[in-house]
Amino acid sequence: MNLKDMIHHYGRQFGTLIGLLILCTVLWILSPFFLTVSNVLNIAQQTSINAIIAVGMTFVIITAGIDLSVGSILAFSGVVLASVAKAGAPVPVAIAAGLAVGLLCGLVNGLLITYGKLPPFISTLGMMSVARGAALLYSDGRPISGFSASFRFLATGEILHIPMPVIIMILVYLIAHFVLTRTKLGRYTFAIGGNEEAALLSGVNVKFYKAAVYGISGMLSGLAAVILTARLSSAQPIAGIMYELDAIAATVIGGTSLMGGEGTIVGTLIGAFIMGVLRNGLNLLGVSSFIQQIVIGSVIIIAVLVDMALKKQSK
Amino acid sequence: MKSKLFKLLPMLMLLLLGLTISTCQRGKQKSKEGATIALVLKTLNHPFFIDMQRGAEEAADSLSVNLLIQAAEREVDVEKQMQIIENLIQRQVDAICVAPSGSRELVPVILKANEAGIPIITIDTRVDSAALVEIGAEVVTYVGSDNYEGGRIAGEFMVQELDGTGKVAILEGIPGHETGDARLRGFHKALEDAPGIEIVTSQTANWERDQGFNVFQNIMQSHPEVDAMFACNDLMALGAIEAIAAANKTGEIVVIGFDALNDAKIAIKEGKMRGSVAQHPYEMGKIAVESAYKVLQGKTVPEYIPVTIELITRKDLE
Amino acid sequence: MDMDSDVILKMQNICKTFPGVVALENINFDLRRGEVHILLGENGAGKSTLVKILSGAYQKTSGDILFENKEIEIKNPGHAQDLGIAIIYQELNLVSHLSAAENILLGREPLHVPGIINRSRLYRSTQKILDGLQVQISSRSLVKELGVAEQQMVEVAKALSLHAKILIMDEPTSALTEKEIEELFKTINRLKKSGTSIIYISHRLEELFEIGDRVTVLRDGKYVGTHNIQETTKEELIRKMVDRELTEQFPKRRIERGEEVLRVENLKIDDKLSNINFSLHRGEVLGISGLLGSGRTELARAIFGADKIDSGKIYVKGVQQNIKSPRNSINLGIGLLTEDRKSQGLILDLSLKDNVCLPNLDQFSKFGVVSSNQENSTAAKYIDELRIKTPGLNQKVLYLSGGNQQKVVISKWLCSHADILIFDEPTRGIDVGSKVEIYQLMNQLTAHGAAIIMISSELPEILGMSDRILVMHHGEINGEFAAEEATQEKILHCALGV
Repeated sequence: MNLKDMIHHYGRQFGTLIGLLILCTVLWILSPFFLTVSNVLNIAQQTSINAIIAVGMTFVIITAGIDLSVGSILAFSGVVLASVAKAGAPVPVAIAAGLAVGLLCGLVNGLLITYGKLPPFISTLGMMSVARGAALLYSDGRPISGFSASFRFLATGEILHIPMPVIIMILVYLIAHFVLTRTKLGRYTFAIGGNEEAALLSGVNVKFYKAAVYGISGMLSGLAAVILTARLSSAQPIAGIMYELDAIAATVIGGTSLMGGEGTIVGTLIGAFIMGVLRNGLNLLGVSSFIQQIVIGSVIIIAVLVDMALKKQSK
Repeated sequence: MKSKLFKLLPMLMLLLLGLTISTCQRGKQKSKEGATIALVLKTLNHPFFIDMQRGAEEAADSLSVNLLIQAAEREVDVEKQMQIIENLIQRQVDAICVAPSGSRELVPVILKANEAGIPIITIDTRVDSAALVEIGAEVVTYVGSDNYEGGRIAGEFMVQELDGTGKVAILEGIPGHETGDARLRGFHKALEDAPGIEIVTSQTANWERDQGFNVFQNIMQSHPEVDAMFACNDLMALGAIEAIAAANKTGEIVVIGFDALNDAKIAIKEGKMRGSVAQHPYEMGKIAVESAYKVLQGKTVPEYIPVTIELITRKDLE
Repeated sequence: MDMDSDVILKMQNICKTFPGVVALENINFDLRRGEVHILLGENGAGKSTLVKILSGAYQKTSGDILFENKEIEIKNPGHAQDLGIAIIYQELNLVSHLSAAENILLGREPLHVPGIINRSRLYRSTQKILDGLQVQISSRSLVKELGVAEQQMVEVAKALSLHAKILIMDEPTSALTEKEIEELFKTINRLKKSGTSIIYISHRLEELFEIGDRVTVLRDGKYVGTHNIQETTKEELIRKMVDRELTEQFPKRRIERGEEVLRVENLKIDDKLSNINFSLHRGEVLGISGLLGSGRTELARAIFGADKIDSGKIYVKGVQQNIKSPRNSINLGIGLLTEDRKSQGLILDLSLKDNVCLPNLDQFSKFGVVSSNQENSTAAKYIDELRIKTPGLNQKVLYLSGGNQQKVVISKWLCSHADILIFDEPTRGIDVGSKVEIYQLMNQLTAHGAAIIMISSELPEILGMSDRILVMHHGEINGEFAAEEATQEKILHCALGV
């Protein structure tokens, strides 16, 4: 691929990337605190949770679905893994418990959608409430706290001065990018979203792969729960409320089409960072939280408007 | 044509930022040379915290310090609050006053502030001291009313209003919040000495007015004999009195709230509520900023600064 | 002649072109007051296009329409309604959870004051119309509770409430029982007597003689002729429907017929297919003809495992197989080129390479990881072999022409090593040059031992390319012909169930 092809092919990511860079430049000019190593790491750390959830959301949205239950699954996974960690289980066991709860909830979504033939909006809306209730029930409505230092290392630890959440996020993105571009699962994800009937008639086991995608989304919510719990040294059953909207926003800003069949992991990362940088920058500038909401909402709308215009242009 | 479009997104973003900056510059016109103190609230859409903000602003004005006010979009979003504090540390503010959204979750970020040499003052909600000690973090002072005491006052008043016998329902806040828990504990304590009073149910309405309405309506269905109700904040109590009015039982059920919001005071005047425990958020905000200022001057402050708490009844309003 | 006073509608030299296609060419059609005029023609002859011009759904490209001796332009469906032209489509257009009355006067409800419906008048006036049709339907009953025939009557009542002078009925009897058809014909006769003119579209030749006054035959978008129904016969009409010169060239090569690769025994899907028995051999092209809705596509999907079968046996290469999903059949060497390649055959937003490889990723992957190199070389191979015109293998198939898209679908199945290929309308919407290329490909495939089932609505194609021909009618195989003995007339006879 020559440069021109590359610009054509990745053009839409370039658009959002340029948007992110300009945003950073403006903040750099306005705030002396913005472009420092520690602030950049801060932003990465603050973005990591939404970014990880958004990866699962990207897979789901590429299949032309939606997952509204990620925030609640995060809370449920969080309280379960917290109780396991608090009971003194080794850290890997606690992590596995969190991931397993997330995966299980996600698979239930997947089965309801494929075998139950429910629209994704409905089944994940139901799961949003069920998982939230389960989290409250399991924890008796109270936060669970008090973990070993080795568990907290997952959030507070650093390797080569890079915080653990950032390392985990980078790993997730590398794997997800590979899976989406280089594996059968990734190819089928696009195929199902592009034209489910055609995928089925091409011999794709649509039910299996669709359920798998919701399972992945749930499991990544579980992973986000691990980081969040370690970061707050506490798992709250009311954590993650409205996180689904942040994840959807990051995905959509990143150029994934809600109609399915299109999207990239890199785009989602940029989308998550646009949101993270905006929040951080507006905090640094001392902008009121009311105005922050207006700005973030406007950015989502503008990003999607531009994205649609670009798409039309390339046709 | 395409390159034009590529320019569109950044330009629009610039425009938006420009707009934002100009808006916030207007807000900052008052800023003066001197220390910058940050006030991080749970939310800005609650009258309680708006009063707290006003108090802090007054103190900042009279002390000539810059005041930065931030809050999460949602009261329960302690992670966002944590991010805000991280960003304020980054911005190198001189002191941070925070009304914590969770009593344990902020401990790690408090440690970070400690490490950056930024003093932390907590308001309204106390941070779990065991958790602080465990990690080696510290809070300079806690400015707040004694919620336990407030709950106890409410409980005693309840016993008095019911003449020692009756069935009581409780509307709790979000479980796990130190503030609500303390009020509950205090209330239960007061009722221990009144064996004639029975608590028939205790349910959460998540601090919210509409949920207070629904939950209490359901309680009146399942416990029609209920004589009195204690709500851990006024918003829930105000919701509940609407439910009582809808059941044509206004005045028959003793309602006691917490916070003494304006709406609650009106309800007390009209006889829809019997009383509410008043906190003084304005005072809290003011004292918090003043204490931060003192700490920055190198003076010491006590580790707990109580703000008066009192019961407001119809008598007080006439 | 004073014919003209009798003619309510005259269409002269009507032409309609869609991008790349001429749908109607110089059609002449006239309709007298109080007559039932039949429109007859094969699938795609242009009947629907013609009535859609009348109902305002399409605009004619050229030609004149005279309505009550005045030249008019029918601008949109509302305009057609105002003129008094009503159409009842095969798929009824009713709101199922509203009452018959509400449907009949939808958008024209009698009002007390603006915004408030006068319900008693609504029910009374519509009941009068329904009673006038001599049907036993309460205007208050909900449409969803009515049978198909009754729903049709609601449509007729709606047309009458609009004071329709011309009523167009598209295949009105296709979903009715014998008894219901009888009732419908009574109603039609009553409407005739009251002076309503009816344009009646149907495939069922026998009923035309029962109900029609005149018949106009269309073929390939051209006008063939108009006859009084008493002066013609079924045989003549069939001949007129198919009588065309075979202008296209079919490069058919006959191959020695090999072993049996597929046998279907007593296949049945409730309401769709019954009593299907046939076999398929290597080296042959088995043509399947039949009208739309005769069960051809359902048969293809059933063999391919896309739809469940209720009973029957399928033997693939001598072994009985229980085909549960397309994956099963692909593994057995079956490939399906779907009738509608855009909605079923291809994923338009994916690249040519991705589409070719989609059913075959197992070949190119280890532990779920796909090897791009293998994919690329495979796609390149088929681009070369099938002469697919594309700027590159990463081109989205959306941007390829119809013929090249079809080649991509064929590549999919070549790549999966399919040797039993089901081609459902393989040349639909494809230009002549690409058609010939696809025929040549079919020759190559059979020469290499593949067996092909070709479903087509185009009789010349069926005759030109098949070794053997099955004709379907009402979900059953109604006849089988060797290529040598088959003629268009024979096939159409069979397809019409005459």
